[in-house]
Amino acid sequence: MSKPALTQLHQALRKSFQSLENSQTLWRSVLSECSPLLVSLGNLAEQSRALSNVQISNTPLRIFPDLEERLRFKLLQETDTVLGKLNEKMSSLQSARDAISNQVSAVSQLYEQNADSLDLLTVSERSATAPSIADMLEWLQDAERHYRQQFLRRKALLQTLRADNLSLLESAPKRWESLESSSAEDNITDILCKVSFFMES
Amino acid sequence: MKLLKLVSVDPVDRGSQRCRLGPQLMSALGLSVGSPLLVPVPMGTCLCTAWPRHDLAEGFLQVDLKCSSSGLMSHPPTHLNLDPGQLTPVPCLKLNRIKITVVVQSFEFKKHTPYRLVHELVKDMLKGVYVHEKYVVNLEDFDTEIIYVVIENTSPDSACAGFITSKTGVEIAGIQTVQHYRSHLQDQHKVPLGGLEEVSASLREMLVLPLLYPHTLRSLGVSCPRGVLLVGPPGVGKTLLVRTVVAEVGASLVVVRGPEVVGSRPGESEETLRAVFDRARAAAEEGPCVLFLDELDSLCPKRTGLSAPENRLVAQLLTLMDGMDQPDHFLIVGATNQPDSLDVALRRPGRFDREVIIGAPTLLQRKDILSVLCKRMPVCPTVDMAELAQRTTGYVGADLSALCREAAMHALREKSKGSGEQAVDMKHFQEALKFVRPSCLRTSLGRTDPSLITWDQIGGLDEVKLKLRQSIEWPMRHPEAFVRLGLCRPHGVLLYGPPGCAKTTLVRAAATSAHFSFLSVTGADLYSPYVGDSEKALAQLFRQARACAPCILFLDEIDSLIGSRSNSQTPSSVQTRLLSVLLNEMDGVGLKMLERRGTEKILQAEGAEENQTQEQLEFQEVCNKDVMLVAATNRPGCLDSALIRPGRLDQLIYVPPPDPQSRLAILRVCTKSMPVGADVCLEELVAKTELYSGADLENLCKEAALLALQENMEAKKKELITINQQWKPVKELELVKSMTK
Repeated sequence: MSKPALTQLHQALRKSFQSLENSQTLWRSVLSECSPLLVSLGNLAEQSRALSNVQISNTPLRIFPDLEERLRFKLLQETDTVLGKLNEKMSSLQSARDAISNQVSAVSQLYEQNADSLDLLTVSERSATAPSIADMLEWLQDAERHYRQQFLRRKALLQTLRADNLSLLESAPKRWESLESSSAEDNITDILCKVSFFMES
Repeated sequence: MKLLKLVSVDPVDRGSQRCRLGPQLMSALGLSVGSPLLVPVPMGTCLCTAWPRHDLAEGFLQVDLKCSSSGLMSHPPTHLNLDPGQLTPVPCLKLNRIKITVVVQSFEFKKHTPYRLVHELVKDMLKGVYVHEKYVVNLEDFDTEIIYVVIENTSPDSACAGFITSKTGVEIAGIQTVQHYRSHLQDQHKVPLGGLEEVSASLREMLVLPLLYPHTLRSLGVSCPRGVLLVGPPGVGKTLLVRTVVAEVGASLVVVRGPEVVGSRPGESEETLRAVFDRARAAAEEGPCVLFLDELDSLCPKRTGLSAPENRLVAQLLTLMDGMDQPDHFLIVGATNQPDSLDVALRRPGRFDREVIIGAPTLLQRKDILSVLCKRMPVCPTVDMAELAQRTTGYVGADLSALCREAAMHALREKSKGSGEQAVDMKHFQEALKFVRPSCLRTSLGRTDPSLITWDQIGGLDEVKLKLRQSIEWPMRHPEAFVRLGLCRPHGVLLYGPPGCAKTTLVRAAATSAHFSFLSVTGADLYSPYVGDSEKALAQLFRQARACAPCILFLDEIDSLIGSRSNSQTPSSVQTRLLSVLLNEMDGVGLKMLERRGTEKILQAEGAEENQTQEQLEFQEVCNKDVMLVAATNRPGCLDSALIRPGRLDQLIYVPPPDPQSRLAILRVCTKSMPVGADVCLEELVAKTELYSGADLENLCKEAALLALQENMEAKKKELITINQQWKPVKELELVKSMTK
């Protein structure tokens, strides 16, 4: 039984949960900023479709030269701008994810280094105020996996959008919404609640 | 040590690569939290990280199959008990490089997604995963198009298992769709196939040739055949053949079953069909591909009428088959058992180029099939496959497998009774033969229950018996002798003679002893109020009989069934038409294309070093391909002269009323089960029963026994006292006899 290793590990865990809490708020705020962008993306796709459906030469607008090309160019440009903004948001999401990942891997590494001195009984020992180390490691991993999954799904969604596939663009906001899994997000909040006594001690 | 019970994984743990154990077991194995270990289960092995259970209970094991050997992908383990000693901790180093194959959901994704993006995504997904060489990492929990990653090799080479960090270099060797990957996984479970070597070889050649020699074919300027139509009765293994060949070649298979395509809305069916072709086209870009249209006759019936919805479907299929632009890797195989109901436009080169006819299996093919089927069964060495193949004329592959199953079930039942032997014996097969009848005879007209009669049960008539054996049994038993003497077996046998002289019974005995299939038709089967129906039924009967040759076709009372052209009042009655059908079927120009069975074999002089039984089997296969017609009549004068010429009914056998010796034999057979009084002298009886037929003698005994019963109902000892003097032989008998002489 090595007391210093245990306290060191506890310290690291506290720090990780702290960072998890920060990342969670960051993640939420960034996500809320993303939704309007996605909606406007879908809107732009709808406009493009409307443009390709209409025959401008049959409307009074035919007096404007090259109207269709110009409009299309404008729409594409707008789409590009929105996608650029989304990319920025993605990079802040990525930084949140990376922060968690780094913390978690640091804690795991610390545990692995001290694994010989910590027997399983110590690791799986729970008390009224503090969960066991194994549980906390597991929760951290779960949280990390959750954010990694979320990030990857959203990234895959955005990266597979193509300008020539309008239906894909149109359905993007819906699919983005569907990626939201409130239960997993609640799990993280639960985890943070469970460790709140441990953090304060 | 106590066995571990394998429980299904917690939903929380899904995709986490965790393996939940009791903490005591973990410390016993020297594991710390999160250290990797290998879990071997019967179908494969799984690499995961050890974690203590939430409730810290011992004796349970939960495994998340994130990284496992490929066998576990399709068969996840359930309800198992594992020995804890089998769990082995593995050292996992950080890997420098790995080489992987990515398996994606759809072909669309593979086509449109740039390599860079796939690489980026996969690298992110694999971070923090413990991997093992040749194992498959399941990435389904990420919910993207990328489903599996197959680890091809890892570096450093020293460790086959390792840990992927953000610094590990990932090299993608290839991207496959999941269909392609799964079809390759299934290769490992091959289905055995017997007796279809020639057909499967030609199919394999069509698939493989364009792949192996694309340049040669291009320089010759030929386009490869792109369609094969498999034709054959149900149960001969058309579907199985396609699956086996596809698995052997390693092609991917797209299956279309006729009814699946047809939808209720107008245009829906065509749409589905187009989608199927698109799927096949996508699969063809990854490798050879077979589009298999099962039950084609339901999908493409003959186009009739003006606006039947099937017409549009047929037209769509035709245009799709013509519009195929990659014929090289994409073969269409259709299977049907009613080729005549297909649309004619389908059966031309360019669409279905080749038609392969698979008939009911011949003797040697049946032997092959049986040996393949019995390979996995514990069969007694005494079971003779050749003998069994001879007994199963007319059985197709499906019947044979049912037969083997039934025999195994009999063996199982016997074992459960406690006799303790495991092997399937010949007697089990004999039992099973009674239950499983050939399916190609199931809908047949003249299907009769084979009531077994041996030659011994017929008294007397030794000469007739010998003649019958000569013409029916000998060609079957000793084909080599027939070939040596340049003999060919008779085509037909006519038994004539007065009624009641055991003509029908003789035929039954002949069928029993020779193990032929036995069809018997009466007027009730053939005649129908519709014009042309009877003729069709007779032709159909012959077709079925040929399908399960060697076969005996028995026409009882042929004089009333089939007319004569000379003395009938109406020249074009049903009887006359039936006669013409019969003459044609017996000695016509040739067989229809669809009735081909096996390959045409000709006996050759060489190959003498083959063993005796094999040779004999081949003789039998070549020589016994025909249907033997056996007819019986008591008015041979009424038959058409064309029917009784040599080449048709060439053996005319007169079944005479029994002579004294025969009568004695018949009486012996009839009184075998009766308590006969000591004063009864059978010889005396024989002398008094001049001109009695076999049936008369049987009736005589019956009457006498009844009289004995009348006199003393209670008597234990019934006695056959006197001949019933009331009983006189039928007057007509003499009449018939004088007529036939």
